Amino acid sequence: MITSTTISRAEPQRIRGLEMPWNRVLSSTAGPAGAARALGPWHPQEFLAECVETVPESGGMMTFIFRRVDGAPLAFRPGQYLNIAFPVNGEDQDSLNRSYSLSSSPTEPWTFNVTVKRDPTGVVSPWVHENVGPGTVLEMLGPVGAFHLPDADRRARYLLLAAGAGITPIMSMVRTIHSLPGQADVIVLYHGTAPGSFAFFKELGYIASVDSRVKVFYSLGNRREPEGWEGLNGRLTASMIDQVAPDANGRKVYACGPASYLNNAAEFLGSLGVDDTSIHMEFFSGDHQTRMEYRAEVALAEDIAEEIADSPEEYYESQPAAFGLYEPGYDSQGTLEAAGLQLESVDANPPLPEPPARESDTESGTGFLDTSTFGTVGTGSLTLSFIRTGINVRIHPDEQILEAARHAGIKIGANCQEGMCGSCKIVKLSGEVEMNHQGGIRSREIDAGKFLPCCSTARTDLVIDA
Amino acid sequence: MVASVKVPNSARGSLTSSVPAEQMTEIARLFEHRRGGYSLEAPFYTDPAVFRLDVQAIFGQHWVFAASVAELPEPGDFVTVDYGPYSVIVLRNDDGGVNVMHNVCRHRGARVLTESSGTTGNLVCGYHSWTYSPEGNLIHASAPGETSFDKSCFGLKRAHGREHAGLIFVCLADEPPTDFDETAEIFEPYLAPHDLAKTKVAYQQNIIEEGNWKLVMENNRECYHCDGHPELACSLFPTWGLTDGLIPAHLEEVWERNKKAQDALIDRCRRYDLPHGVVEELDTRVAGIRIARDSLDGDGESFSSDGHRLSKKLLGDLRDFRLGRCSMHLQPNSWFHFLSDHVVTFAVFPVNEHQTLVRTTWLVADDAVAGVDYDLEKLTHTWKQTNLQDKAFVELCQAGANSPAYEPGPYMKSEYQVEAFINWYVQRVREHLA
Repeated sequence: MITSTTISRAEPQRIRGLEMPWNRVLSSTAGPAGAARALGPWHPQEFLAECVETVPESGGMMTFIFRRVDGAPLAFRPGQYLNIAFPVNGEDQDSLNRSYSLSSSPTEPWTFNVTVKRDPTGVVSPWVHENVGPGTVLEMLGPVGAFHLPDADRRARYLLLAAGAGITPIMSMVRTIHSLPGQADVIVLYHGTAPGSFAFFKELGYIASVDSRVKVFYSLGNRREPEGWEGLNGRLTASMIDQVAPDANGRKVYACGPASYLNNAAEFLGSLGVDDTSIHMEFFSGDHQTRMEYRAEVALAEDIAEEIADSPEEYYESQPAAFGLYEPGYDSQGTLEAAGLQLESVDANPPLPEPPARESDTESGTGFLDTSTFGTVGTGSLTLSFIRTGINVRIHPDEQILEAARHAGIKIGANCQEGMCGSCKIVKLSGEVEMNHQGGIRSREIDAGKFLPCCSTARTDLVIDA
Repeated sequence: MVASVKVPNSARGSLTSSVPAEQMTEIARLFEHRRGGYSLEAPFYTDPAVFRLDVQAIFGQHWVFAASVAELPEPGDFVTVDYGPYSVIVLRNDDGGVNVMHNVCRHRGARVLTESSGTTGNLVCGYHSWTYSPEGNLIHASAPGETSFDKSCFGLKRAHGREHAGLIFVCLADEPPTDFDETAEIFEPYLAPHDLAKTKVAYQQNIIEEGNWKLVMENNRECYHCDGHPELACSLFPTWGLTDGLIPAHLEEVWERNKKAQDALIDRCRRYDLPHGVVEELDTRVAGIRIARDSLDGDGESFSSDGHRLSKKLLGDLRDFRLGRCSMHLQPNSWFHFLSDHVVTFAVFPVNEHQTLVRTTWLVADDAVAGVDYDLEKLTHTWKQTNLQDKAFVELCQAGANSPAYEPGPYMKSEYQVEAFINWYVQRVREHLA
């Protein structure tokens, strides 16, 4: 016998843009859930991390895979970096601190990667390549930086520009988007010096081949095109950007590479109509001023990390609600965060307006003002506190609130008294009512604490703004 | 989303019944003998009897643009619009549709809603608290001692309402014109990508122009006078309405720039599959329309001094800021500019024969933040200035029409759309009188 079962399906929800998983967790629970607390990358911390694996990359780069020694996942935003202390001169000497972009995706938070290009003339990177390996434990500070994808973006159209080692934060972004559902549209334009110099070449090719949201273009910076090269040729130009992304002016641009490359990019993007505020840049080299700015960013992160370490409870309390995908303000966090300010947040449960201050305003069970000094009338198991009138009315659970209030001399205008006209509408500051209205009040108004006393009974004690 | 309710409305009194038969004959003669290609005779702009006929034949019979969905996004949100003697409530109902009701209490005729916009559960008349449901049914009227009062006989009078691509239209006729569906089919593909349902009102301006409503519409149908709009000329090509062979010497350079920008715009429209071609049926259908996507000067994005965007948030799922302006004219009372970063709607509501309310509304993406993504002053500057300039032009014409020395003058070639508007108007009134 064949039986069939019909599974009713809800209307399929189209995920319009991109949204980071921690944002989702925070917006779907009343208080920040534990996992989201751990994964929400609001503030930098200082921690120890152990290298568990190294992966050689093309282009003279090496990926170091770490996990936190305390076992916690690492929370960060795709594009951010870590400041790492390297004991280049031995354990007894002062470490040298360097900042490296994270190249992995925060959606796989139990381990994280930094990818380091070996600079033969440098002091730190050759040491890292030769000395850091499985078992190496390093002190780290992070995440740091305002160069990252937004937590929620309903448009989610990006142009990612990378030159050389500038691919590392861009790689984190690509991996993150690839790991998440949503309607992103990503174009990567990646400059290298020679066909074999593109780190993550195979993975980028794979992602582009299986993820229709991602397109990757390669270009060689020199003028001589080797045989068999199928990518673009030549340094970045406005027409090259226009060629790979004719709608560049409608995209958010994230660009990472050497200063000269980025300065050119800024000029070309401007000429194509991309707004300054749509362009985000991370400098891998730079003049004195750029280096000073990064130093200041790390120093600020260090201060915040110390503050958090001193009072972790307060830090968790101060964490903002998630940024609504369709609410304003969600992608303006970079500068606020860098300044150490609390992020602008969308409060799902806005506080009710404060009642007018009173002389008797002291601590009380209601949390608003001391209603115990009010005179009390009536009999019943529940108490209605009318804070403007300054009177408590005792009421039975089956009594109409409007009628009881009027008997106590409280003036509330009312016409139909059947829950239709809405003329008796008042605000309750606390407590629950049972309301049987007939259209005289909107659900939005109910959400804002309003009710119609003509058709309501009290379920609990109430504090009423009347 | 279309909400249309058919309600017989035959009890309405005739607006022209008070006009003496002799005068009515004279007015009918004016319409019969209108000289094509020339502006109208003075009484069209000055005579209260002609105005009463306009209200009856045009605003009482045709689909009139009332508001956009951004002005009443949620159930219970309403706007009231007044034109001539009418006041109409447009209300978003719980089903997501639009209810249109006459704003006249069935008790003693008081205005039920006195605010121009707001949110309400039921509709409560402020006079004696007669309470109507959002559908217009009378659900409460205290009636002490009444024995034969039947509430079901005293619902608010309904009219027709519908929504297309986020624009809400109302029609007071018992039988609305039937070709509006075809007009909506023309404009919906142009407007839908801008997704008005995901916009919010950034600013709304109401100005009363001391001029007949037809002068307001005529003025908007040509750019012959655009030298008088220095702010607008920064982004809007003043060659609008002209073609090769009609370009004056001083605009030749602009014309070349315009053609180049238009070619680039067409490329973009093809890339994004956006309709852009001109559809012009201003007087060849009852629901007259003109729509096209035209390039803008400078960066080609918006109505700013350099053509650069005025809001940083793209509307809908648009991918590109350089989409010029999709502009639409609808007979009898509206025009619109749909840009990539904002939308401007214009609604014309006649007050009397010599005064007209012009309501301009600027819409931006609903997640755009004032002061961050857009500067309200800059967003509204060009059209605020342009509206004031247009108000002055309209008032100059009204003053002229009042003079005994006024006589109709010829419309120039570049004013062919003014002629089309007048032709549409004259045809509609003639049909009504027939």
